[in-house]
Amino acid sequence: MLLSKMAAEGGGKEMNEIKTQFTTREGLYKLLSHSEYSRPNRVPFNSQGSNPVRVSFVNVNDQSGNGDRLCFNVGRELYFYIYKGVRKAADLSKPIDKRIYKGTQPTCHDFNHLTATAESVSLLVGFSAGQVQLIDPIKKETSKLFNEERLIDKSRVTCVKWVPGSESLFLVAHSSGNMYLYNVEHTCGTTAPHYQLLKQGESFAVHTCKSKSTRNPLLKWTVGEGALNEFAFSPDGKFLACVSQDGFLRVFNFDSVELHGTMKSYFGGLLCVCWSPDGKYIVTGGEDDLVTVWSFVDCRVIARGHGHKSWVSVVAFDPYTTSVEESDPMEFSGSDEDFQDLHFGRDRANSTQSRLSKRNSTDSRPVSVTYRFGSVGQDTQLCLWDLTEDILFPHQPLSRARTHTNVMNATSPPAGSGGTNPGSNGNSITTPGNSVPPPLPRSNSLPHSAVSNAGSKSSVMDGAIASGVSKFATLSLHDRKERHHEKDHKRNHSMGHISSKSSDKLNLVTKTKTDPAKTLGTPLCPRMEDVPLLEPLICKKIAHERLTVLIFLEDCIVTACQEGFICTWARPGKVGLLSSQNQANSPSGTVV
Amino acid sequence: MTVRNIASICNMGTNASALEKDIGPEQFPINEHYFGLVNFGNTCYCNSVLQALYFCRPFRENVLSYKAQQKKKENLLTCLADLFHSIATQKKKVGVIPPKKFISRLRKENDLFDNYMQQDAHEFLNYLLNTIADILQEEKKQEKQNGKLKNGNMNEAEENNKQELTWVHEIFQGTLTNETRCLNCETVSSKDEDFLDLSVDVEQNTSITHCLRDFSNTETLCSEQKYYCETCCSKQEAQKRMRVKKLPMILALHLKRFKYMEQLHRYTKLSYRVVFPLELRLFNTSGDAVNLDRMYDLVAVVVHCGSGPNRGHYITIVKSHGFWLLFDDDIVEKIDAQAIEEFYGLTSDISKNSESGYILFYQSRE
Repeated sequence: MLLSKMAAEGGGKEMNEIKTQFTTREGLYKLLSHSEYSRPNRVPFNSQGSNPVRVSFVNVNDQSGNGDRLCFNVGRELYFYIYKGVRKAADLSKPIDKRIYKGTQPTCHDFNHLTATAESVSLLVGFSAGQVQLIDPIKKETSKLFNEERLIDKSRVTCVKWVPGSESLFLVAHSSGNMYLYNVEHTCGTTAPHYQLLKQGESFAVHTCKSKSTRNPLLKWTVGEGALNEFAFSPDGKFLACVSQDGFLRVFNFDSVELHGTMKSYFGGLLCVCWSPDGKYIVTGGEDDLVTVWSFVDCRVIARGHGHKSWVSVVAFDPYTTSVEESDPMEFSGSDEDFQDLHFGRDRANSTQSRLSKRNSTDSRPVSVTYRFGSVGQDTQLCLWDLTEDILFPHQPLSRARTHTNVMNATSPPAGSGGTNPGSNGNSITTPGNSVPPPLPRSNSLPHSAVSNAGSKSSVMDGAIASGVSKFATLSLHDRKERHHEKDHKRNHSMGHISSKSSDKLNLVTKTKTDPAKTLGTPLCPRMEDVPLLEPLICKKIAHERLTVLIFLEDCIVTACQEGFICTWARPGKVGLLSSQNQANSPSGTVV
Repeated sequence: MTVRNIASICNMGTNASALEKDIGPEQFPINEHYFGLVNFGNTCYCNSVLQALYFCRPFRENVLSYKAQQKKKENLLTCLADLFHSIATQKKKVGVIPPKKFISRLRKENDLFDNYMQQDAHEFLNYLLNTIADILQEEKKQEKQNGKLKNGNMNEAEENNKQELTWVHEIFQGTLTNETRCLNCETVSSKDEDFLDLSVDVEQNTSITHCLRDFSNTETLCSEQKYYCETCCSKQEAQKRMRVKKLPMILALHLKRFKYMEQLHRYTKLSYRVVFPLELRLFNTSGDAVNLDRMYDLVAVVVHCGSGPNRGHYITIVKSHGFWLLFDDDIVEKIDAQAIEEFYGLTSDISKNSESGYILFYQSRE
């Protein structure tokens, strides 16, 4: 307690200093100044009042091992570069593609990870005037423009994403509070769409487009009041989490169009949302300066985190530091205890309790879980947070009745656990059976690049876990084969499977409005004192300008600020890779 | 900025009808009037505060019912009541009104405002609220004295001890509790202080929430600032913190954007970007507070435009019937809620010239 207090005070004094490195218990993270991406002239973008800088990654899966590509928008410009990450310095003189827009600005973008090849990628770009463009920055062609006449929605596009597992469906959210499902194969029509109500619930409605010929949008979702700031698909692609300016998180079953659960911010709009890699937790950030952790299974707030001095603009889980720890009960007895205290004492004051419970457990295979997530905000700070089992399972009695393994596996989707993961080079990797289930390909993740290195690392981890001393397990990543398999079961959106019963009742359903002020003290918005308050593991000022991007990659953390600088922070042990690139590039992935 | 410049070139009539058209005849709220105020030479500090207060509904309603009372001798409050009444009873829905009587009364009553200099809007707000409270208290006292003369049974002691709370206090007054803990004997002494608004320090790239947390952060009194502890009967090191004990109905937050620079011998403006949400709850409340987690809604913002306290301009944005309006002296415009972010301030420290939120008015939800 004393230590953490001193650390906080020390941080306060150096407030205006911009950090280029920081240390967590897993080691030193270091900013790689040579790996900074920006506009080719490296001039800070005058950012007052423009759209946030966003970054999207894709791996084109070429044989060279340099398959990573990144796209970012700055002002009215959009850039597409080869991303060399921690391995090689950035070469800004040769963007593969660069576009400058007039009259409308790019606001967000997303690559289709299924269709990406070295010759072609499908990039969706949303714009400030409501349009969406499908471009191929490798072939350098513009295939399609959606909502070109702005007949569907005139407001700013806030979030665009491919529907997981689909090569043609994508979802677009607008600041109007509406969200539209498009199919790249369909046209948008020459007249404004006519809608027919499909489903309505508390503070949301879904309409289909009434038209003789199939046209876009396929669906129109109206969610809450005010702008829809961001949405995120669950790792299995079945659920959709939306955060809005009205301060609500709403989680829907995407296919059946059912509301699964809601949450209200402490106050103000919610600005960002993300899922834990196993789909069990959702983290939001917003105008209350807080991060809020919500349990998907229990539909309740399990913790809030305070560390930011302003609004939280991005939250993201770190799948590579989310750990599954299989601990030998003996480890916690005897003299090891002192070491443990020193090691973890600063992390959280109440971690003692969790260690106590572990010690008391006589379960033959106790498993502890730590989720790592990060957040960046308008305060120019990066925060990292650990979600430990004392927060996750607060009501577990301190006795032998604890069965972590059951808790972990009971609700895990069966797919993925223990799956094989052949990399591009054909290596076969077996993931630990009790690892957190692997995520489906998501935007901003690099499913393929990770494979070559994950090969060596995972096998090391396997051995480590077997011997019971491992601290972190690498999450396995979906392979290409598996995803092609999913493609066979393409999503169809005929909506035939949506129960017609609810639409029959539509006239009876009154649109009841939840008064946000009355949500306090309910599971929608517990009082501050009723849920644990997390303190950040680290909280560092890392830029001059508002931070707008946070992406966790296998070798590094990527951040970006409103001035248009995209920074690469090497993970512990990955700093030296820049000089010894040959080794790292080797597809055989020798043990590092 | 450009929109407003263009608007100011147009004559008032077209501007007014443009606003009506912008809102739409069906959407235009019944019994609501949006009137600009004529600038009588650097009186934007006054116009901006008056507009903000007009759209603080409880304040407006009390001023209007004061007007409805029997005719009194002219004072600043009667002038304000006449002005509000004249806005509220206009036949037209939009237009411009010269607050002439109010300005001349203000200049007559206070030397500070009796010139054509640019004044501080916060200082004016403070002066106005305190003056109204004094007038109301004086009137209550008069009434009681009249009553005493008639009945002769008033308890004199009670009357002298208790300062009557007026509706100004009921609307704006909150209580801070100042807790000091002596580091020697651990005795905690607390003292309550009433406030009509809170003045908070600003920092670059923060939120109003952070500024309020900072306001209440524990401060250690040591060396020359040592605290005289009654228990120890000596000067001791102590920890001090200020927390909100009673939350007001309308929370007025003043951002201390004007800072005296020792080396320059003048005030400079801190144009820092301080974001403020449309909904707010306070974190810096003391444990024994009632209604400590009440929800506030942003209803008005007085914005300072320019580079220093004695130069520049004041405008006000207000929320009325679900939409936002910008009052720039005689010009009134409907604005998009998203345009509010233009008034957060600047992230660049180089430029001092900004249009940034200066006084925020948050109204409590019932």
